[in-house]
Amino acid sequence: MLLVGDSMTREIVTLAPDETVGTALALCRERRIRHLPVLSEGRLVGIVSDRDLRSATPAFGEPERAAALQKVLVEDVMADDVISALPDDPIEQAANTMRERRIGCLPVVESGELVGIITASDVMKALVYLVGANEPGSRMEVAVPDRPGSLAGAAGVFGMCGINIVSVAMGPTREPEEEGSVRERIVVFRVDTIDTSEAVRYLEEAGYSVLWPPKA
Amino acid sequence: MSGRAAIVHDLALEDYGFGGDHPFDPLRVRLALELCETLGLLEDYAFVSSGPATDEDLTTVHSLTYVRMVQKAGGGSSPLSDLLDYGLGTPDNPVFPGIHEACARVVGGVLAASRLVMAGEADHAMCISGGLHHAMRSRASGFCVYNDAGVAISRLKEEHPGIRIAYVDTDAHHGDGVQWMFYSDPDVLTVSMHESGRYLFPGSGGIQERGRHDGVGYSVNVPLEPFTDDESWISCFEAIVPEVLRAFDPDLILSQNGCDGHALDPLTHLSATTRFYEHVPRRVHDLAHELCRGRWVATGGGGYDIWRVVPRAWTALWAAVSHQELPEIVPEDWLSKWSEKSPVGLPPLVRDAPEDYPPRARAAKIAERNLRTAEEVVDTVLPGLQ
Repeated sequence: MLLVGDSMTREIVTLAPDETVGTALALCRERRIRHLPVLSEGRLVGIVSDRDLRSATPAFGEPERAAALQKVLVEDVMADDVISALPDDPIEQAANTMRERRIGCLPVVESGELVGIITASDVMKALVYLVGANEPGSRMEVAVPDRPGSLAGAAGVFGMCGINIVSVAMGPTREPEEEGSVRERIVVFRVDTIDTSEAVRYLEEAGYSVLWPPKA
Repeated sequence: MSGRAAIVHDLALEDYGFGGDHPFDPLRVRLALELCETLGLLEDYAFVSSGPATDEDLTTVHSLTYVRMVQKAGGGSSPLSDLLDYGLGTPDNPVFPGIHEACARVVGGVLAASRLVMAGEADHAMCISGGLHHAMRSRASGFCVYNDAGVAISRLKEEHPGIRIAYVDTDAHHGDGVQWMFYSDPDVLTVSMHESGRYLFPGSGGIQERGRHDGVGYSVNVPLEPFTDDESWISCFEAIVPEVLRAFDPDLILSQNGCDGHALDPLTHLSATTRFYEHVPRRVHDLAHELCRGRWVATGGGGYDIWRVVPRAWTALWAAVSHQELPEIVPEDWLSKWSEKSPVGLPPLVRDAPEDYPPRARAAKIAERNLRTAEEVVDTVLPGLQ
């Protein structure tokens, strides 16, 4: 779960270095994609984005545009220092690379061969599945002490109430509300119930602070 | 403008409830209808009774496997682990004897109300037990086992080919079940205004849920900030609902009138009062006359302050459906009958007093965010419908 290979797009539209920018832009439009890997003899040699293509050609309405679309080649505008990912890279690593290098996608390469492409929207989709936001549920935020057993204790309350947990995300530590008490973490649960009141009551009786839903 | 009204109800519809301390208590239906009766609002109206929905009706939107599972569950012979896969046997949707029959009756009631209206026997019809908008194709969810609106819409589509139906849902929770059932259907417009899924079950209902394939643009969602009050909710309703309904031009409006967005409701965090629950049905009534010769079917929905909120909110609904003045005072007879059983003091007036619900400190900020949501909805949805 949560590997690049699970979330990447496998049907890839590619270009050859000697195709024209006009062809490339038409492909972007038709297939509604923004990134095209460039292959030469089956090997990944570059990548172009629709932005690279547009900035390499005169704007709409410029008389030189039509000629440029036919003349400028993909290899003239592509980035050839391609940063790629492996199918078994964790998705958070791919996300971090995209964020740090400010790029919108990573071609996925295995044994020298292009096997897929992972884009920012694939990462978002994985996030949606991860937090269970595609299934009905109520979102609850619970602050738990940063100590062994706290998450199990909070989760156990849902089990006791017969409420299924759809997803759990636990954040980094933060300073506690009350000075002098242990640092805490916020846990976001999505639980399969419309009525969280019983779970809230038991969580609070067990000493956890429920940050959402708010008190009436 | 007024039309002839019908009310579909019989005692069997009050069997749909989960018993014990469960928040979904059919007593709320009794309380609401008795309030209508004591106020004299039912004098010219006999209850129209209806049969249960058939398996064929139910399988227009539910899988046969699921229907069989509900039937078996109600007979008491299913192991819990089988039930859980279908959303049954949970604290939200516990199984009770006769669960299938009880819920099939609710669906039958809404179906009968819809057919009365389409047959021209009534212009408006209400079945207050309906509004089980969370029920999914093969899964019970959020107190809802079968999806009455889903079945009624599907049946009407079969019986009146080409019909266009607008579903308007002002329950505090997103009308997810109905939305997903018609997500690709451009002949069914679903409009849901609800507390944002970030804060409330079922979590869906963002602006970007706009429909799929041919149905793009025909699902409209207005997620509201927690603690949204009458003023802001009504402005958003007015900014969106009349315009999208006019653009869609329906042949019938089906409204889900859950009243759990009231400030007193224990399950949600919205801050409406009876003003909102009086406003919405009056406007839907007028839109039905303006757009579809008055054809309007109204159901209930959520509402978990069964003593102080539901009876008055649904009395206001029936007053709008039947085009009667909403009286001001809750009759002594009703109060004295129920006050002993109520764990809370019962309000003596039909309408909430505004001074009892002063604006919250953050009201302006909440209204501003809702307005931005409404503008975004209008900008993204309307062009697709016109």
